[in-house]
Parts: sequence; C-alpha cells; structure tokens
Amino acid sequence: MAPSQMSYAPTLGKLLKSLNSQPLEASIESLIYLLKRRQVKGDDIANATAHMLLQVVAKSKWQSVDQLLAKVSNTGLRLAQAAPTELVIGNVVRRVMGLIRDEATEERNADEMGDSVSDLSQLPATPTMSSRPGPTPIRAGTGLPMSKSMFNLLCVTETVSSPATGTSTPMSQGASANMHALRSEVIDGIEEIMDEISQADDQIAGFADIQIHPGDYVLAYLPSPTVERFLIKAAAKRRFTVFLASGERQKPGEAPHAALRKKLNGLGVNTISLASNGLMAYMPRVNKVVIGAKAVYANGGVSTESGCSIAARAAREYSKPVIVLSGVYKFTPADPSDDVAEFEQGDSSEFVEYADGEAVNALEVENIVAEYLPAQYVDVYLTNLGPQTRDHLATIMADHYKSEDMGLSLHLP
Amino acid sequence: MSGKQASKGGAANKSKKPAKGGTEEKREDALQAVILADSFQDRFQPFALEKPRCLLPLVNVPVIEYTLEYLASNGVQEVFIYCGAHSEDVENYINDSDRWSPESNLCPFSSVDFIRVSDASSIGDFLRDLDKRSLISGDFILVHGDVVANIPLDGILAKHRARREANRDACMTIVLRSSGNSPHRAAKARGITPVFVVDPTNGRCLQYEEMHPLQKDKYVKLDDSVFDYGEFEMRTDLIDCGIDICTPDVLALWSESFDYELPRKNFLHGVLKDWELNGKIISAEILDEGYGARASNLQMYDCISKDMLHRWTLPYVPDSNLLHGQTYKYKRGLWIEDGAHIAKNSTVTKSVLGKTAYIDSGSTISNSVIGRRCQIGKNVRIEDSYIWDDAVIEDGATVLHSIIANDAVIGKYSYIPEGSLISYGVRISAGQELPSKPVPRISLLTSEGEPAKTDMKLVGNDGKGAQYEEPEDDEDSDSEDEGDADPAVLQSSLIYSLAGLNISRESISTLATHDSDDELSDNEYEQFQAKANRERLSSFASDDSAAAAKALDQFHGDAVHGLVDALRADDNDDFDSAKLEFMGLRLANNASDSMMRKAVAVAFATRAAELMSPENGGLEPTKAAGRALTSKKGAVKFITEVGVGGNKVDLHAEFALALQKALAAIKGIDSARAGTLLAALLQQLYNLDVLEEEGILAWWTDARAAENDSLSKIKEKSRVLVEWLENADEEDSDEESDDDEDSD
Repeated sequence: MAPSQMSYAPTLGKLLKSLNSQPLEASIESLIYLLKRRQVKGDDIANATAHMLLQVVAKSKWQSVDQLLAKVSNTGLRLAQAAPTELVIGNVVRRVMGLIRDEATEERNADEMGDSVSDLSQLPATPTMSSRPGPTPIRAGTGLPMSKSMFNLLCVTETVSSPATGTSTPMSQGASANMHALRSEVIDGIEEIMDEISQADDQIAGFADIQIHPGDYVLAYLPSPTVERFLIKAAAKRRFTVFLASGERQKPGEAPHAALRKKLNGLGVNTISLASNGLMAYMPRVNKVVIGAKAVYANGGVSTESGCSIAARAAREYSKPVIVLSGVYKFTPADPSDDVAEFEQGDSSEFVEYADGEAVNALEVENIVAEYLPAQYVDVYLTNLGPQTRDHLATIMADHYKSEDMGLSLHLP
Repeated sequence: MSGKQASKGGAANKSKKPAKGGTEEKREDALQAVILADSFQDRFQPFALEKPRCLLPLVNVPVIEYTLEYLASNGVQEVFIYCGAHSEDVENYINDSDRWSPESNLCPFSSVDFIRVSDASSIGDFLRDLDKRSLISGDFILVHGDVVANIPLDGILAKHRARREANRDACMTIVLRSSGNSPHRAAKARGITPVFVVDPTNGRCLQYEEMHPLQKDKYVKLDDSVFDYGEFEMRTDLIDCGIDICTPDVLALWSESFDYELPRKNFLHGVLKDWELNGKIISAEILDEGYGARASNLQMYDCISKDMLHRWTLPYVPDSNLLHGQTYKYKRGLWIEDGAHIAKNSTVTKSVLGKTAYIDSGSTISNSVIGRRCQIGKNVRIEDSYIWDDAVIEDGATVLHSIIANDAVIGKYSYIPEGSLISYGVRISAGQELPSKPVPRISLLTSEGEPAKTDMKLVGNDGKGAQYEEPEDDEDSDSEDEGDADPAVLQSSLIYSLAGLNISRESISTLATHDSDDELSDNEYEQFQAKANRERLSSFASDDSAAAAKALDQFHGDAVHGLVDALRADDNDDFDSAKLEFMGLRLANNASDSMMRKAVAVAFATRAAELMSPENGGLEPTKAAGRALTSKKGAVKFITEVGVGGNKVDLHAEFALALQKALAAIKGIDSARAGTLLAALLQQLYNLDVLEEEGILAWWTDARAAENDSLSKIKEKSRVLVEWLENADEEDSDEESDDDEDSD
C-alpha cells in the first residue's frame, strides 16, 4: 500500500478526537449520522454514547438538575432514534441519568442535611415494570410521569415527590457553585462508566479459566469480540478445543475467523471450523457453548447474533451448558417487545450477490442480524461482575438503574 | 458562494473547553467533491419541468440527499454544487435544510458552494468553468446529483493515489459495479449499454463505447491500439455508478476539448481514443460488493427504489431515517412513518407509507411508495407505483406501475395504466380510463413551460392537464449520430420496453419493424457507399459500425480527391505535401490499412485513366501508367509505403486487386482499355519494384479477381504479363488463394 494512504471516511475515533474542537450540537449530529450510516457498530456504540453524554454534561448550559436530566435524556433519545435496534444506548443513558440523580441527592443531603430521601434503587426492580414503547412514555427528568403502564400509575405519588425534582425549585446563591460541583461529580461518574465499558471484556475474560476446564470442547458460534477475548485468555492457561461455527455465507478462499484461529493456534489450542448445518453432529462432543450477547433483557432473554439460538437449542437437546457473555452495561431493564423493529435488518447482499440478477428480482432476502434467545436456553450469564444466574439479573438491574429511568422509553414518541 | 468557516469558529468559542483543549490537526488537504446536479437531459419529463430533477423524491427523500449523505459518509469536506435548470430551487433547498445548510454548524462539510454558470448547456460547460475557477486543489470526487451508493471510497482513493504516484498520467478512476452474468434489473434498465474495454490486470480502461438497441448495427469497433495490450476484457455488465475520482488534470482535458458535453460518451470515449495524443491513463475500479447506481432516468428511478426496498442500498433505506424529521419504522415488509393510517381490511405489502398517509378500507397496495399526506380511498388498487406527497387517489381507482406526482388527483373508479406519468396537480376525473397507448404522460405544462390546454378527452370533464409532448428539436439530447434513432426515447419512460414503446412517432417506425429495418439500413448504407466510392466496399459494410464506416467513406472521398489533385498538378513536382495531407486524413478518420490501399489505388487508377482520355492527350495505356506513377517525385515511394504497406505477398496481391477494382469502377473507359491499363500499371509497378511477381501471381489466382464479368474481362488483359512473369521465373507459383478478407 502506498505510504501516503490516509482515510477520509469519518469514524468514531475521528469524532472523539474532534469533540473538543467543535460545538456540541455538531458532535451529536455527527454521531447520529455515524449511527444512521452504521459507521459505528457493536461495542463501540456504548462507548460513543457515554462520550457524548459526557460532552452534554460538560458543555451544555444548565441551571438545575432537572434541566440536566432533560438534556441528557433528550440527547439519549436522539441517539437511540438514530439506531433503534441498539439497546445499549438506552442503557448508558439510564446509567448516566441514575448517576445524576444520585449525585444530586448527595449534594442536597450534604447541603441541607435534611429531607431524608427514599432510596429509589431499593424499589423492587421486577420484570413486570416493562417499558414497552407506549404512545406516551415518561418524559424522564421532568418529574411528570406520563406513561400509562401499570407500574407508573402505581408509583405516581412517589416520583412526584422524588428528590430529583425537589432540587430544582429553590435556587440560592450557592446553587451555581453546587451545580459546578455537581458537574464535575457527574463527569467523574461518567468517566467511571466509560472505564467500566472499556474494561468489561477484560474482566469477563478474567473468568475464562474458571469457566473453561482443561480438555474441554467449547463451541463458539459467531464469536463476538468479547467471546474472542474470552477464548484467547482461556487459551493462555488451559488446553482445550474450540469449535468455531459460522452461519454466514462464506466467501471462497477465506476461512472464517482466520485471525482468531491463528491466535488460538499460536497458544496451542486446537480450532475446528464447523458449518452451521453440521452443528448438531458435534454437539455430543461439546462441553459448553459460549455466546456473546448484544443485550440482555430483564426477563433473561438475550439478543444475539442471528443463528446463535440454533446453537443454544442444540445444546439444550444435549443438556450442554450455554454461557452468555455480557458486560453489565448491556443489561437492559426492559422486556423484549414483540416489535420486530427491534431486530436489525442487515444487508441483503450478504446472502445473495447483487450480481445474481434472477435471484435479486425473484427473491425477497431478509437478513436479520440479531435474534432473540429466550431465557430458558441460557444457563450462565458471565458478566464483568462474575457469573450470574437468571434470578440475579433483576438485582443487577436494580443496582445499576434508577426506577425512574427504567421506564424511560427511548422510542419515538 | 458562501463558506461556513466563520460560523464554525464562532460556535467553537462559545463552548467551554475542557482541560484537554487540544487543537485539531488541520488535515493537509481536505477532500473535495463536485456534484453535477443537472445533466441537461430530459429523461425526467414532465416532472423535471417544475422541479429540478435532483429534488425529485426517491422513496420519499429528494435524490440529492443520498448523494450528499454518501459524500458525507466518505469524509468529503468541501462540496461544490453545479446546478443547471431550477438552480434557485436547489440552492434554497440546501440552504433551508438544517443538515446541509452552509450556515448551520451541523453540516458535515466545511463548505458547500453553489456555482452557477449562466450559459451552460452541458456538463462539459460546467467542468470547463470549474477549470477556470481553480477551486480544486487536489484529487476530487466528481459525482452526479442522482447517485445512490454505499461503496466506501477510502480504498479506492488510496488506490487512485498509488496509481497517480506511480504514473503522473493516471488522472481518473471510474467506479463501476459489476452486475454479473445474469444482469440485474439495474443493468437491464439502461437502454444504453456502456461497453468498457478494460485491462483486467491493472484496471486500466482502454476504450469506451456505448450501444443501444436502436442503433442500426450491433457492433462495437475496437481500436487497433487496444490489440497492443497483452490482455483486455470487454465488459457490458458494468453498472456505471456515476462516481469518478479525478485529478485536476481531468479538468484541463475538458478545457482542451471544447466540444465535449457528456462525461462518458464524449469525454471518456474521446480521451481514451486520443490516448496517444494526451497520454492520460484512466482506470476503472470494478467492484463486486456494495451498491452504486444513478437515478439517471425513470427506469433507474424505478430500479433503485426497488433495490432500496430490498435493502441492497443499506444504510440508505427508509428506516435509517436519514432525513431530519423522518420517523420510518420497518415492520413485516412495511415502512411506516408516524401517523400513517392503514384501515383494517386493506392489504399493504412491501411498501413505504409517508407521514399521515391515509389508506382507507378495502384497498390493496403492493410494492409501492406512498408519500406524506397522501389520501388513498376505499377499494383502491395500487401496484409498483410511486405516489408522491399530497396526491389523492379516490375510491375504486386502479394505479399500475406509474408515477403520480405531488397534488395530483386520481378520480373515483379511474384507471391508470402501466407506465403512466401523472405530473403535479393533474386531475383525472372520475371514471376516466386512461389509454395505455400512447403511454399517458400528463402534465399541466407544455414542454416550453407554458400552461397546457386541458385535454378533456384524455383527463375527463372535471380533469386538468394534457398529454405532454416532447419538444420537436432534440438539441439537448445526447445522441449525435444522425443516422441512429435517439436512444433517449428508451429512457424517458418508466418501463423499459422495445415492443410497447411508442412515445414518439419515429420510435414506432423504427421499433415496430426492427428486424426488417436492419436490412433496409444495410441497403441504404450500401447505396450510399456505392455513390461515394463508385465501388462496393462490401467487406466494410458488414463489419464496421455505421458511423465509423461513414467516416471512412468520407475519408475515402477526401483522400482520393486530394491525391488525384496532387497528381494532376503541373506546377508542383513534389508529392510530399500530398502524402502529409493523406496521412493527416488517415489519422483523423482512423482509417484502416485496407482503406488506405483502396484510396491510393483508386487515386492512381483515376489519374491513369484520365491521362488516357482524349482531353488529356489520349496517351497510350503504357505511357499513361508510367506518367501517372512516376511523374511526381515520391509517388512511387508513397505507393510502396502506404498503398502496399509491406513486403508480403498477400499485401501485393491486395493492392493489385484494389487497382483492378478501381479501374472497373471508373466510368468512361471500356473494360478492354481498362484491362490494358491495368496490365500496364502492373508492369510499371513490377518494373519499379513496387510489386513483386509473387504478389501479382497471387492476385492472378485470387478468386475475387474474377468475381464478375467486368472484373474477369479486365483481368484477362493481364494474362500476357502474368505468363511472362511465370516464364521469367521458373519457380512454381501455385500459391493458395488467400481467403483472408482483412489481411491487415
């Protein structure tokens, strides 16, 4: 390649570099279009969202917590609309909003020493308080719950008197100083979230040697970056065999996951490539199935690369454990809606060449990129906080999200 | 012209800078792009009468949005937009758009400039204007304002740069998408088939031609120079994405050629043809992945819309909501924007419904795009159609594969047949059934932009609008071949069809009798040739394209005339200037060797015959031959080098044959005298060492030399010469007759 090669196409990296030099609105707009054009993908999206919310907190003008919450949720809504199938955006927005509420409460407590605050995170976060994209969602942060869902009807009184709204009304001289302190607190908090996101994969990989035993046969279906790191980490300590299965149309002369295979082989781990239709035949030999999650729902269902549920179902037939790898930031405090719109449709050309003229005219190609894996097929959720079972998911959700924000609907109003 | 640097700087100062405050490293050279928002064609009539074509909605989004978004997605920084017709509309659209407006700091481009050229009548004028402005600093992307593509350009740009560094003359890279063996609809929809001759090893483009079904012969003539390359491919399966990566040299080339109008047919063809003159290298980047096409005519519009609904154009699909304020959601084959209403018992499949479109009960809609605020009544049937914003289709109407523009009203129980184009504000009254022939193209305006007189018979009593007629003079059509029907007629309808196409009268006549037409044209052509050459050039008629052959006819006439004049001239003994002129003609017309041979033979035969005629002294054939050949200095050498063109037996035989045919065609000289003259000429040429005996003997045995009576009579007179030659040399001379028609 020529030495003068440089790339012009906008990327997330370039956007993050230019964050400081361009106005906030332009940055948000750039990210929105990166999302719309699918130029940011996968795990970068969480990172990008956190970066952008950090900019919102740092750069935008706000006098009260409510204003800040409104701004954050507004930006979050716009980002989520740009990529409605990416649930992580909503998760990060909820985390940041929860963070703001916490910090505001602390400030207030420190300032006024009164007003005992009911810790909202103690509310039971049950899967029943689903946030179906209803016609009138909560405008989070305004303190006026407008959702008609059962849960919100019940908790109306509580949210109205919630401390977050209380902070906004009296604005004394010291308020601006408070706000300044709050700003830096929140920024620190978001940076922590960003660290968490970036370290999640490593932390998950840290549990690899516990999960994978010597001599295991591990099936990895369409390994995501998280799964790849997990396997490589395990390979450093254990001797085992990996079945790599992929369902994609394979381009001639191109072995799937070549880079991963090379790394694993270099560490002395055998890899065997499977075509996805031969999956069942190998299942008796397999000890465990590892699947990367795109999102984990409140009910334990998982959004994965399409095709993974075949592997999971096959594993269930043979009673083999299925391990789902997912950072906590991918946990979505919502139930999967039956809305097909949540599953991204991919490019048809992955399955039918555009050059196959006849097929292009005659066929309707639907390439659904993600699919839903019901909770009963999952045995272990391996998070950056350690392995979890389905029963603990609700607790984790409750620890990470505020109940006000759980109902936050990031869908179109 | 308006830049936006100022606004950008101001906004940046407002924001509080966090601790880092790093200055963004200024990119050395920002990527520039030029959008050609008008193509000076009338493929979108009658819609383009009122609106610039780049603002026509393609799946409910103005076409230019796709192009701009594509450029933005490739990191283009500076955009220059050339608008032709309706330039104010385009400028207002961009300036009012909150995404692209140069004033807005949301714009992904650092500058968006409009360039107006008041007297432009072609794309060529735009690019020559651009050259004068010297706005372009480095490589730039030249796109049409109707490109829909998702091909990442980074890699292609890098390759282009590498090529340019390797060779300074590599000035342009064309992006092409291969469409495989069984052509996809995008390839089929073209009417005009581009033929690219490409070197598959390095992607270098060697020749470019266009073919279309209306041309009279079905051939592409390859340049001789193409054969000098070790390997080349001729490809007709390529979709031209309308994306070129150019160096500023390209603009200079445009400026040099003031008559080039179209980027492909004129520019690409011309530059490749004159490669030896300009030395420029143009490469083609042939892709097997990604999507790229131009909505350059209604068929492509149809085809790209369909591709978009099938997600070939990802991410440019409705549910990406690229336009601000769009809220499409994809659900079970339908894209529905907020507030669109589908009554319970109506059936809608694989369609797009714009905001607050309303579909009443009992209607069936398939494979269609319905704009915003459209009102569709009860029991309506719509198939494969494009209904633009605010159109109203009343109860019971049927719309098949048509385009209904904004604010048009289709009355109750009316019937719109396939291929109809219903322009803005047209009203079709209730119960009206539009005829399927001629295909309805109904507009409120005439082709001159005047209000049209309503044709009650066509649109009904309450209707508005009249059939749109193409303007009679076809000046801005891109066809320059006068002999051929204009291929543009193939592209101005929504449905590509040869059989059912009857938009204009001339196309009926050409197309209905397409097969017989071929023969007819051959005959016509030959008559024309016979007149011009006074001899049949049947071998040329069959394997050259008409245009090229016509050029060759002209070449022949001019060349013979020039040579004979030079031979006649008494005051000038020098033949060199005639030779120079002849070679100039040859290069200009790209004449083949056999063409030159014929011209030389005819010229000398004519002169010799002239000398025999009483007015010119009535010389003896031998003397006449001698005078014709040797009176001018350099003439013999000229015959040897140009007329015969080599020291091969078959070339000599060919020249003898050419002389014979030339003499046979000369009037006012009977075949006996012609034969004597031929014998004399051949003998002279033999004596002058121009023709070898083997050549003459080969001619003697050639079957073509005795094809008909007059030829064999002429030939007979040379028997003495041949026998003498045979005796003079005892060598066996049983050469096989040479069947190779075109030995050159």
